Amino acid sequence: MKNRGIEEFKYFVGIRSLGDIASKDDRICVLNILGGESRTVTPISHAYSGGNVVFGTSPGRQGQVLETRIGNIPVYNSVREGLKDGHKFNVGVVYLPPAGVRDGVAELIRVNPNLTKIIIITEKVSTHDAREIRALGQQGQVDIFGANCLGIADAWLQVRYGGALGGDHPAETLRKGCVAIYSNSGNFTTTIANYLKTGGWGTTTSVSSGKDVYIHFGAAEFANALTNDPRSKAAVMYVEPGGYYEQELKLTKPTVACVVGRWKANLTRAVGHAGAIGGTGDSAVAKEGWFKDRFGVDDLFTPENPVCSAKGAVVANIAYIPAALTAVMTLNKIKPDFPPEGDLSLKPWFGNNQGLNLPADLDLPIVDAISPYREQIAELDKQVGAFFPRQPMKDCSGSSIMDATSQITRVNGVSILDTAKMPMESNLCLNLVREANDDNDNALFNLAVASEVNLHGDAILAAAQAASDAGNAPNSVLATACAILGPGRVDGARKAAETLVELFAHSGVNQGDDENADFSSIKADALQLACLLGDKQDAKAKAMLAAFDARGARSVFVKYLRSLKGHITADAVLAALTTTIAWEPLMRKRISTLTVRNLPWYARLFAVHIGASTAADDHGKNSFCGVAMTEIMASWTVTELAYLALTGKKPSADELFPFQVMMGLIISNGVGTISAQGAKGAVSADGPESPERVQINKCMVGFLTHTGFAHGGNGFEGIQFLIECFRDKGLTDAGDPNHGIDLKAMAEEYALAFGKDKKVRKAVGEPIRNIPGVNHPVFKGLMVNKDPREVFIAELLKGRGDSNVFHDYYSVLVKALFDTGMTKNIFCVNIDAVIATILLKLLWPRYQSGDFSEKSMETSAFTAFLFGRMAGCAGEIDDHINRGRNMDTRTPTSQCRFVS
Amino acid sequence: MQVTGMLYGARMLKLVDFPASTILGPEASESAIKDLIEKCGSVFVKPIFRGGIGKKGKAGLIGRAKDIKTAMAEKERLYFVTHKVGKMTYKAQGVTFEGAVPADYEVYFSISDSTKFRAPTITITHHGGMDIEELDSSQIIEVPFDALTGLKAFVIANALSDLGAPREIVSPLVQNLPKLWDLFHHHGMTTLELNPIRMTVDSPGRLSPVACDFKCGFDRDDPRVSRLNLPDDLFVEDISDFEQEINQLRTYQGQSDVYVINDKGTILAPTFGGGANSLVTEGLGDDAIISSDFGGNPPYEKMREVMKICLKHWLAQTNVLFVIGGKSNNTDIFETFRAMADALREHFNEKGPSPIYVVIGRGGVNLVRGMGAFKDVLESLGLPYRIFGHDSAMSDVVRYSQAVDKWMKKGGRAEIAAKLGISNGGKL
Repeated sequence: MKNRGIEEFKYFVGIRSLGDIASKDDRICVLNILGGESRTVTPISHAYSGGNVVFGTSPGRQGQVLETRIGNIPVYNSVREGLKDGHKFNVGVVYLPPAGVRDGVAELIRVNPNLTKIIIITEKVSTHDAREIRALGQQGQVDIFGANCLGIADAWLQVRYGGALGGDHPAETLRKGCVAIYSNSGNFTTTIANYLKTGGWGTTTSVSSGKDVYIHFGAAEFANALTNDPRSKAAVMYVEPGGYYEQELKLTKPTVACVVGRWKANLTRAVGHAGAIGGTGDSAVAKEGWFKDRFGVDDLFTPENPVCSAKGAVVANIAYIPAALTAVMTLNKIKPDFPPEGDLSLKPWFGNNQGLNLPADLDLPIVDAISPYREQIAELDKQVGAFFPRQPMKDCSGSSIMDATSQITRVNGVSILDTAKMPMESNLCLNLVREANDDNDNALFNLAVASEVNLHGDAILAAAQAASDAGNAPNSVLATACAILGPGRVDGARKAAETLVELFAHSGVNQGDDENADFSSIKADALQLACLLGDKQDAKAKAMLAAFDARGARSVFVKYLRSLKGHITADAVLAALTTTIAWEPLMRKRISTLTVRNLPWYARLFAVHIGASTAADDHGKNSFCGVAMTEIMASWTVTELAYLALTGKKPSADELFPFQVMMGLIISNGVGTISAQGAKGAVSADGPESPERVQINKCMVGFLTHTGFAHGGNGFEGIQFLIECFRDKGLTDAGDPNHGIDLKAMAEEYALAFGKDKKVRKAVGEPIRNIPGVNHPVFKGLMVNKDPREVFIAELLKGRGDSNVFHDYYSVLVKALFDTGMTKNIFCVNIDAVIATILLKLLWPRYQSGDFSEKSMETSAFTAFLFGRMAGCAGEIDDHINRGRNMDTRTPTSQCRFVS
Repeated sequence: MQVTGMLYGARMLKLVDFPASTILGPEASESAIKDLIEKCGSVFVKPIFRGGIGKKGKAGLIGRAKDIKTAMAEKERLYFVTHKVGKMTYKAQGVTFEGAVPADYEVYFSISDSTKFRAPTITITHHGGMDIEELDSSQIIEVPFDALTGLKAFVIANALSDLGAPREIVSPLVQNLPKLWDLFHHHGMTTLELNPIRMTVDSPGRLSPVACDFKCGFDRDDPRVSRLNLPDDLFVEDISDFEQEINQLRTYQGQSDVYVINDKGTILAPTFGGGANSLVTEGLGDDAIISSDFGGNPPYEKMREVMKICLKHWLAQTNVLFVIGGKSNNTDIFETFRAMADALREHFNEKGPSPIYVVIGRGGVNLVRGMGAFKDVLESLGLPYRIFGHDSAMSDVVRYSQAVDKWMKKGGRAEIAAKLGISNGGKL
């Protein structure tokens, strides 16, 4: 093959001068342009370079575009299609995954005869593919940069190809000057350019070579191109051990070589840069020697021992590069490009000793950052709360995650085995403020919900009753109720919360319950006061404040409201309660101001869930389910209210604990559940990028309508099964360990009957009936199978001395099924069974007395599920509002199927 | 990822029909060993070391036996023998028995990627069986060849001709050596070395090459390695549990390269960028627990998982959590710092507080937001810290973290422990 490259090399090299590496006339095609990295980097490169990307490829996405500040870049399935559409390019940039890089290079070379350069950004390209890429490049006479590099940039032309040299603000780092950079490290290419500014040196062309075993545009090619570039008066080369690329370099201009990696001789495996591991001949020490010989120096340059010649200097620390370059350039009588900017001394931008007496050398004072970071820090200080980056949130959650192995879900980092130990009020808040409540928080939230639970005279109640009368299941009834609690009904409370955040954000108050905090400097203007005060006395507000005192609660916001002259509104009190709970997480930037603003809405929605689940006649003017509202507001918890709504009675302490455990267990089963998907779909459809428009009540309707007899209502199957088993056993107290029932005999009898039925059904080809609550697709296959959640709850309740005959029966039953040969191993009792046993135990006395029908039992079981799950779904809704993108839960058409 | 010795070498060579010496593993019965001695005249008894452990012959770790009694004595001597290479000491895990191969010629042959030629390159000499570094340059030759064409017979023929190799070995080598390209190129190898290949009499007047020792290195980023179906535990000695856990997260989206430098170290330094890795590893030396590169813009979830694993294994002994990198080009500092800070907070939530001082040095995309996120978590955890921007020299930040570490060892750790209410004073 004839070598059409420049004559200085035996192999093909097309680039004669650094000035030829990048050009304003080059046109670029980016492979995998819509990949994660390219999607963020290419628009910046494109805009910085004045629009040099003509098209990109992404198989299956023809017709899409990559948006950039200066216009959209079209996307095609393949290079051929882009060319066919009339585009022309001579530079290929490869962002493909490692396994696709070689084929991408082949595509570029074979399909486009005008190709001159390829830049491969991808890391972890196999050596196998790299050796073939080298051969393809030589055969096709194309210059290749990388792989595992960040491309090339020219500060004179303001052009960069490929990767992200100079970061997201390339002009800030890549200042025009006379120094060329060659670096084995992409990051250090930018860092060195940045360091050079402290010596007053700008750059010409910066080359990030990559440091895989194969470097296609190596040090020799760089040195030759440096010689032929009139703009470049000097060079900085950053070099790591491994490979002989720098041996016998022909350097004709002053150069500072930074060779790092002596210590790497102790390593037996490369870390980071695949090719940065040397043998004896290509170690860091050997490479220092090569450069020392070239420069005629006998030692490394350090500030204390500034050894250099007019040809150059060798440093082992990139921080010494500016000083070394200045020293070498002084010998060559070349002055810096501009006055030095800043210095590299230690300057902490942030710090805190936390009250420790640090030695003077460690106790560095905090200094102002350089511009523009100084201004950004000032802005940051003004920011209140967290800002979450927006991203597609389909099947994705920042609120919950289920462990696929244990099936245990964590909500904001807390396992449901731990939420099971917490009361409902705490779990409802945990899902929203991302931290567990303390006692004061619980008192505040209990009051917030209690004050809204009575719907007497409210259209919500009439609508719910109408829905119930029409035969709807509880989820539809509650959805009807929630639909009415629209934004118009909570605007007052939301504005009040917003106002409190505005007033207190920079007050220095860090704890919402700190009533000793000094808020004397806070001065609300008329508009702000209008959000907190009304024209006349608000009876509800008065009742809430009385209940607040009765509970012995603390809130700096309530105290502030009381300090105002005027009539405090109930909305303002509600906002003060919820904002107190949210304040510390907000100050710690765990949650956003958006969440704090919406908390009163969530509180009212939770109250409506509980309130609307009871019949209309349970809501009196001054009572709820027969209990005086003054009592409820002053002392009842959310857990007690939920229990009251479900069973019609106040729970004893013994009844409350298992109920709380059950509620805590079911708050979430991860983002994949239908209920969570329904809630998130509702957020997505409203468009979370305009978060103020998202109708949170509609999102709760989304959750509710995505539950049903199969999801949520199926908890009743376990209850029904247990009722069948225990109906005629004369059981009065399911918590009495001396119940007198021979569970073993009962289980064996059932097991044998089950086996018989199974045999008959099998013989006639009918589906075999499963036993509800027994076995789980994940927890099976061992000789003895256990659902870890069931084990945890059993031990938790046993530890308290709680007995549950239904739970015991399940445990005996799975063994009986094995002992009688009905199952090949001991099946597990799953979490659904546990929930059924807890609920049935609570309702058993009323069922036995005939007070509670099976239908009521079914309704209660379903409602109980909704009470528990509303916490998790509220968390998903809030998370999606904070992080999601508009319509991000839709499925691409290409993934939709038609069946007939 | 290296394999040495004929135990697995012979199996791999069989894949491409390259002749290899007869070998028995550690489980071989006495009668099988006896049969091998009878067939070959003698056996070599070699200890099995996992990984690429060389220079066994020079260390007196290769035994030769012409009878079963000597063979068993050598087995006893070498079965658990230790071998010191540089700083590392390796322990044998059994022995192999390799049938001796009589020969007049010993050939050295290797294939690797040469950075001088930037091409796959063979190195060959018919003066094999010894350290090739000891040979005169006229006795050995390196020949690059085209990766797309592969190693062809003519490349071998020309190389042997240039070396002036004896006529009788040329033909068998030209016929057999090209087979090794298939093994090398299509199974994810980065080096393949056979030394010696003994040229034994196959039939009257005809020599045949027999590989008598084997060494190869694998590319951990090449999935082709799995084609060899080598047992998973073959490379286990190379990496610690920690590295193994991190390796599970190896994808091309974000680096996750780690190396345990000193499991007694006290500075935990998650590092971003290959360059920063070189600089920080060099600066910290044995103070560092790990050498790492987590750059390459890892997504939040991956970064959090990586950090969780780091904290799980090392935070208890850590004095300084040192997060360090240059000015990033593409890595989103907000995403990575948020992930790391969240992992730290979760670790504290789960395991309780740990007395550490946090030093951070970084520049790049979304820098201030990222620093702010980390700062907020450190404040909430009550940890002392300093955060430096890219206008502080990275090497000085490294030295600052070392100075903090020294102070921690002299009582600072106990002071922080007292502030955090840790009862035992944070003793390691």
